[in-house]
Amino acid sequence: MNFKYLSRSLAAIAVLALASCKPELADVSPEKGSADFSRYIAVGNSLTAGFADGGLYLDGQKNSYPEIIGAQLKTVGGGAFSTPFFNAAQANGSGYKKLQGFAANGNPVIGDVAPGAETGSVTIPGVGTVRTLAKYSGEINNYGVPGIKLIHAGVAAYGNANPYYERLLTGNIGTHNTAYLDFATAKPYTFFSCWLGNNDILGYASGGGVGDSPTDKGTFTAAYTAAIARLTANGAKGVVATIPDVTTTPYFRTVTTAILLATVKANAPQVTALYIATNGGPRAATAEDLFILPFSSLAPTMLGKPNGLGIPYGLHPGNPIESKYVLDKDEVATVTDFTNAYNQSIKTIAASKNLAVMDAGAVLNAYAAGKVVNGVTISSAFITGNLFSLDGIHLTPMGYALTASEFIKAINKQYGSSVPTPDVTKFRGVLFP
Amino acid sequence: MRKILLSMLLATPVLGFAQSFQVNLQGQKQIGMAGAGTGLAMDEAAVFFNPGAVSFLKQNGVQAGVSPLFLKTAFRETGSDMTSYNKSKLATPLQAYATFGSPSGKLRFGIGVYTPFGGAMHWDEDWTGKYTVTSLDLQAIFVQPTVSYKLTDWLGIGAGFVYANGKVDLRRALPITKADGSSATAQLEGHSHDFGWNAGLFADAGNGLTFGLTHRSKVDATVKNGDARFDVPEALRPTFPTTFNATLNLPATTSLGIGYQVSAETTLALDVNWVQWNRYKTLSFDYDNNARIPDTESPRNYKDAGAIRLGAQHLLDSKFVLRAGVGYAITPVEDGYVTPEVPDADRWLLSAGLGYKPDEHFQIDLSFLYENVKSRTQTNLETNLSGTFKTVAYIPGISVSYKW
Repeated sequence: MNFKYLSRSLAAIAVLALASCKPELADVSPEKGSADFSRYIAVGNSLTAGFADGGLYLDGQKNSYPEIIGAQLKTVGGGAFSTPFFNAAQANGSGYKKLQGFAANGNPVIGDVAPGAETGSVTIPGVGTVRTLAKYSGEINNYGVPGIKLIHAGVAAYGNANPYYERLLTGNIGTHNTAYLDFATAKPYTFFSCWLGNNDILGYASGGGVGDSPTDKGTFTAAYTAAIARLTANGAKGVVATIPDVTTTPYFRTVTTAILLATVKANAPQVTALYIATNGGPRAATAEDLFILPFSSLAPTMLGKPNGLGIPYGLHPGNPIESKYVLDKDEVATVTDFTNAYNQSIKTIAASKNLAVMDAGAVLNAYAAGKVVNGVTISSAFITGNLFSLDGIHLTPMGYALTASEFIKAINKQYGSSVPTPDVTKFRGVLFP
Repeated sequence: MRKILLSMLLATPVLGFAQSFQVNLQGQKQIGMAGAGTGLAMDEAAVFFNPGAVSFLKQNGVQAGVSPLFLKTAFRETGSDMTSYNKSKLATPLQAYATFGSPSGKLRFGIGVYTPFGGAMHWDEDWTGKYTVTSLDLQAIFVQPTVSYKLTDWLGIGAGFVYANGKVDLRRALPITKADGSSATAQLEGHSHDFGWNAGLFADAGNGLTFGLTHRSKVDATVKNGDARFDVPEALRPTFPTTFNATLNLPATTSLGIGYQVSAETTLALDVNWVQWNRYKTLSFDYDNNARIPDTESPRNYKDAGAIRLGAQHLLDSKFVLRAGVGYAITPVEDGYVTPEVPDADRWLLSAGLGYKPDEHFQIDLSFLYENVKSRTQTNLETNLSGTFKTVAYIPGISVSYKW
């Protein structure tokens, strides 16, 4: 026995141990369960398309929840997933909003990025002027069309009214006669997601209860039944999502009565109330009345400006803040009532077809209220909450990744699959300059 | 020679890992015996293991050693199929001791330089837990001048004054996206200078039986005006802090050791450690600018932890010594408080060692320690980072000593 021999033995043990150095975790093998993911299609509106920052543009499209789900499904036999991307030259798409910095008072300064894919506009009889966007031809799995309502999904001429749908269709605008659901289901598919219905209430809400009307509840139920019947006609399985209550988004929760009043009082301490127009006549605004986000840039010039009679805007019942800028308490109740009714229909119809349900209403409300995910605080706070993009309604890439994760959890629960969830920390929030 | 060793020590980053960020790599002979040694008057490392035993050392000597530490941690997020591994980063805790005074007299002196606390955990900059931590480098170098006195021929006491030099470098990503799409980052770096003590009793009960009882005091490593470097978007820069204050409560350790000389060749050692981690309640950072981020107070809520270590030493002949040991350490980290910088759990320790003594003066000791930290599936209560951690550590070591 000598030192060399012993020390070499010890070194050999060390080398062996180091060679098997990596600690092992139990293997995971993703399973598809009772579903078949070989061709997944996503049906829906702006949320499905990856709309963000007030526009549809390439970066948003790349971070849509169907793209994220499609990537995860590849571990369980999912096929190629295609989104009708704008090409690199058209990357700015419809144009979008961009954070440019902060004013001295701390308010964000938000600018516009010019469209990159706009090709012109056409006047369509009965519709009006419709913008046109660069056409897309090629494979499509993500059929998300910004602006589409559930009740549009079966309308044959809808392709002439919506530039985002129009760009997917062959032929010229004005001649389209393929209903959205017919288009999306034309090619065989095995699995679908459906997140429709948000716009059936959004137009009413974002317009302050003026202009658009919510889709009638009975009409919604009938249309949803028809859409799901259509999507499941070939035996495909799928997941549907409920509708989040839009009144909890930063679009309605950033410009508050208290902030506006404080701003006015800074120059006019005698002011005690703001007045808003409601269906029941003008009245003082309360914390339960929700001003829309775009009013933040209008308020500084409008509030207090006298009309022809010398009555200051918004500071007197004789010249109240117009209804289109505020979703008053009763209108908020209407939005909540319709949203709940729609969601009840969605859940009932999904259950009748044994579909998975992603309760986006519950999920996004929970995140909006504030939740920590992997060390990231998620909330509905405008710009800093990481959940909502600069338009205050649509999500950030991180918000879409959380959504995708919830879709996958719902799928796994319904179909006994074990599709892995995405790493949400790989997705960004609002971009800061 | 000691001077050279000391300067080497100060120049090299000293990092380690074991049982939260307590490092138990303080003597190559003891490492070979699973870290047991409180109840033995074995060598100069008694300065650390039991100052009371220094007066019982038969010779004076100086030793210096190093334990390169290979630490591998895996993490898989709940629901994911992807596994993250920490980066390979070699940590090299060093230890050096010397004893002085007449071995025949009652009063002896010693000095020790060692690293009782440290951590070197580096994750990928873009890993799934990046918003909780991307890297932690922590090192506490203790310098301990020591006095030991033999009260009777069977009882010795000893005490050392500890100067603790600490350094921390903690990095994480912030959930704020820069214009290029990357995440903002934060780096907190600071130094601390604190004091503590280490005292022990050593008793020789005869018939080969020896006992030791030691207490190493708590140290509150306090960083004043550390550098807070926030790499954030230009528009936010003025709202972020530039300095921070923080205190890390390092625990006291009470140890009881028993030594038993089975025969002229074979010695057994048993140590029980009680580590008073319950002082570590929060990790708080106090920033100089709270315009955008508030002071943070992260709950840690550690409980007291312990370890039991059993080691054996066997003289093969006049030149060779074999050592082996086994130990079990209970984690101070409770469910809900496991963090990626310290993904701790109960652990098994297995060790082996070899001593070689070519002549009366020189000795070389080799050790190898394997630590297997149990797999732990956790959701952190503060960050909601949810997943499974598994850690193993491989720690070879070598020391050289010279006795006179």
